[in-house]
Amino acid sequence: MSGRERLTAVLAGLSLALLPAVSPPLTGLPIGAAGLSPILQRAQAQQPLLRISAIPDQNPEKLNRLYGQVAAELGRQLGVTVQYVPVTDYTAAVSAFRTGSLDLVWFGGLTGVQARLQKPGAQVIAQRDIDAAFTSVFIANRRSGLQPIRQQKQLTVLKGRRFTFGSESSTSARLMPQYFLSQAGVQLRDFAGGTPGFSGSHDATIALVQSGAYDAGVVNEQVWKANLRSGKADRSKVFVLWRTPGYPDYHWIGQPDLDKRFGAGFTAKLRGAILSWRSTNPQQKAILELFGAQQFTGAKAGDYRRIEQVGRQIGKIR
Amino acid sequence: MNGASLQLPRPAVALWPLLPALVLLPLTLLLPALVHGGGWDLLGRFALAALRPSFEPVVLRSLLQGLAITVGTALLGWAASLLLGLTLGIASARVVWQTLAGASWPALLIRRLLAIPRAIHELLWGLLLLQVIGLQPAVAVLAIALPFGALVARVVSDQIDSLPLRNLEALRAAGASAPGALLTCLGPPLLPLLLSYSGYRFECALRSATLLGVFGLGGLGTELRLTLQSLAFAELWSGLWLLLLTMLLLEAAVSGLRHRWAMPLRFSAAAAGVGRQGRELLLAALALIPLLVAVAWGLGLHPGQLLHWQGLPPLGQPQWQAVAALPWFQLILNTLLLTALAAAVAVGCAPLLLLLAAPWRPARLVLQAFWALGRLWPPPLTALLLLFVLQPGVLTGALAIGFHNLGILGRLLLEAAAAADAGPAQALELAGSGPRLALLYGRFSGLARPYLAYGAYRADVILRESVVVGLVGATGLGSQLLEALSGFAWDQLAALVLAYVLLTLLGEALSDRLRQRLSEPR
Repeated sequence: MSGRERLTAVLAGLSLALLPAVSPPLTGLPIGAAGLSPILQRAQAQQPLLRISAIPDQNPEKLNRLYGQVAAELGRQLGVTVQYVPVTDYTAAVSAFRTGSLDLVWFGGLTGVQARLQKPGAQVIAQRDIDAAFTSVFIANRRSGLQPIRQQKQLTVLKGRRFTFGSESSTSARLMPQYFLSQAGVQLRDFAGGTPGFSGSHDATIALVQSGAYDAGVVNEQVWKANLRSGKADRSKVFVLWRTPGYPDYHWIGQPDLDKRFGAGFTAKLRGAILSWRSTNPQQKAILELFGAQQFTGAKAGDYRRIEQVGRQIGKIR
Repeated sequence: MNGASLQLPRPAVALWPLLPALVLLPLTLLLPALVHGGGWDLLGRFALAALRPSFEPVVLRSLLQGLAITVGTALLGWAASLLLGLTLGIASARVVWQTLAGASWPALLIRRLLAIPRAIHELLWGLLLLQVIGLQPAVAVLAIALPFGALVARVVSDQIDSLPLRNLEALRAAGASAPGALLTCLGPPLLPLLLSYSGYRFECALRSATLLGVFGLGGLGTELRLTLQSLAFAELWSGLWLLLLTMLLLEAAVSGLRHRWAMPLRFSAAAAGVGRQGRELLLAALALIPLLVAVAWGLGLHPGQLLHWQGLPPLGQPQWQAVAALPWFQLILNTLLLTALAAAVAVGCAPLLLLLAAPWRPARLVLQAFWALGRLWPPPLTALLLLFVLQPGVLTGALAIGFHNLGILGRLLLEAAAAADAGPAQALELAGSGPRLALLYGRFSGLARPYLAYGAYRADVILRESVVVGLVGATGLGSQLLEALSGFAWDQLAALVLAYVLLTLLGEALSDRLRQRLSEPR
């Protein structure tokens, strides 16, 4: 009966479409937040698994490459299984850390403060040498007619322009730039359309400003330099308008209960491992290059007090 | 046919569905002021990439895995919502309580309570659940199951209560037990509707699962968002083509099954019998159970996860003054404006475009492809794409949501027009009128009322959906909500969700009234 055959065909098609969901996922691939593989989850029940993650501030391909290497290196040094869990949203990274779904996260200044306030006892593990005095650059499209400025108060040239930040919760592409803008007397409603854009990541901001979709934007200087080196940013189309003063930014934050779960002294071992990375070791050199740093240094919660103040001022911290 | 021409001051019924399209006039006037034209080359690169999607094995593997997660999430969420909806629907039907307990007030109470989960969009459910149970596959499944379940419950209870009661009363008078009489009288007429509706719900679930991914809850949506944000258009299109294929296959399967099992169309009033396919139905239902278990295992979903509740973060002192200081009037006005614009674009353009394309078969095919893209493409991604050439704001958000809903409405209208009685249209064509007029007066006049009634329901959906384009900025409650979420401002979040719930309930009451007026026999 042809009708029955058709039904069988439909059901067969459906089960084929669902087949990948049923087969055990391959590990090491960029999987979605909800796609934790069952194999790894089972492993988690038997032996502790260190889940590391990072705020998604750059291209996912680069994040996957970088944190895959970080996971391998930390696993080798600490003798535990390390898994990189990608997240797609700054806020989701903070929530996942609070709910204990992530053990060690590379946070920005603001998200790190948010995470520590939400998870009392969470520990600042380390920062990069460049994070103590991090800078952002305001960039602009050549065709916009904007010219480089010398002083902060000249940021008023951005009034009435199409302007984009990075992510809503980014320190270097939202929080501090907004602070510097408001010091110069530029409010968010002063941009064209009555509101700034939020491109979501530094790479997206550069591409959007370079194409002219926005007249100007703001990115962290480290990503900007990396894009200039790789040729993705084209100086004939996009240029630096103004460079901000320094402020503290990115840092590693660990769960309060790491010692309990992985054995006494684990947090200290973890910190020691990260601080020991040097460019003389080929694997560690590759990691440091992707991080854009010479090496990691120690950091204290107190270093981020200024970020917390600005965060409260702008209403991103309560 | 329906005597509308006797009421002179009103336009003929056939023209009613075209009226919302009048919104295009002010839109065309306003649009040039919004175009900044900065990103035309980006848009061009995006369009070209459609022809050259990436076939790299790494990309494809990751996309396929994302697709599997999305389809699996949709399937589980859908099944759970049906189960939930059927149970709650029966529990909130007046007839059931009247027959079993002799009083109907508990039904009303449950119905009122169910309005709350229904009024909160699945995205909000997802983001709120993320706070309570952490980053788990169960979050996306539950986020779909809860609001969809409440929606199904409403449809089921409405249907039960609108069934004729004569048979039930007769059986009861003859001494049948209450549960037995209920099952005998209400089961058979309910089944075809439930089947048809649940097929449609599965399509919705697939769209929602994709959307949840866009906001970071995993699956293909996540890949789409990340590839768009890094402007990797070739990889983006690989994902889009995959999703399109899946969606069209699913839609074909659902409509095939609907024809086979003699289900009524989505907005046709006539009920149909199930036919003699009972055994097949039972088999399909039985086959679904192992499939669901396998998918749940594949996604790494364990019921135990749901019990691991995490404490809420330290909430801090609520600052109600700051909440009260939000520009509420502006926020609500923008939200309503966005809803009205998007609904008018979607409801008005579907019949208009269909009429324009009517004489040429290739044009109709192009139109169908355009609509498929609209259904496929989650509104936040459309909005991000529109930002390449348009200024942020209410209009941009409205266009994004309008385009998505146009895809959904267009397909339903096309299906209904194809299934409508061909007689009047053929008669008109034989009498010498052109294909457009024949379509308009032959088919649309009969469809106008159910179509507009469905459009009113769609406007409700759009109001809830307005939260998802919050990321294009200045779109009212939605963007404020995302901002509150990123600042973990619980007091603002609670107030904004409450505002959404109230607005949605108000909108539902209005659209219910409109629907009733449209379906009144005259």
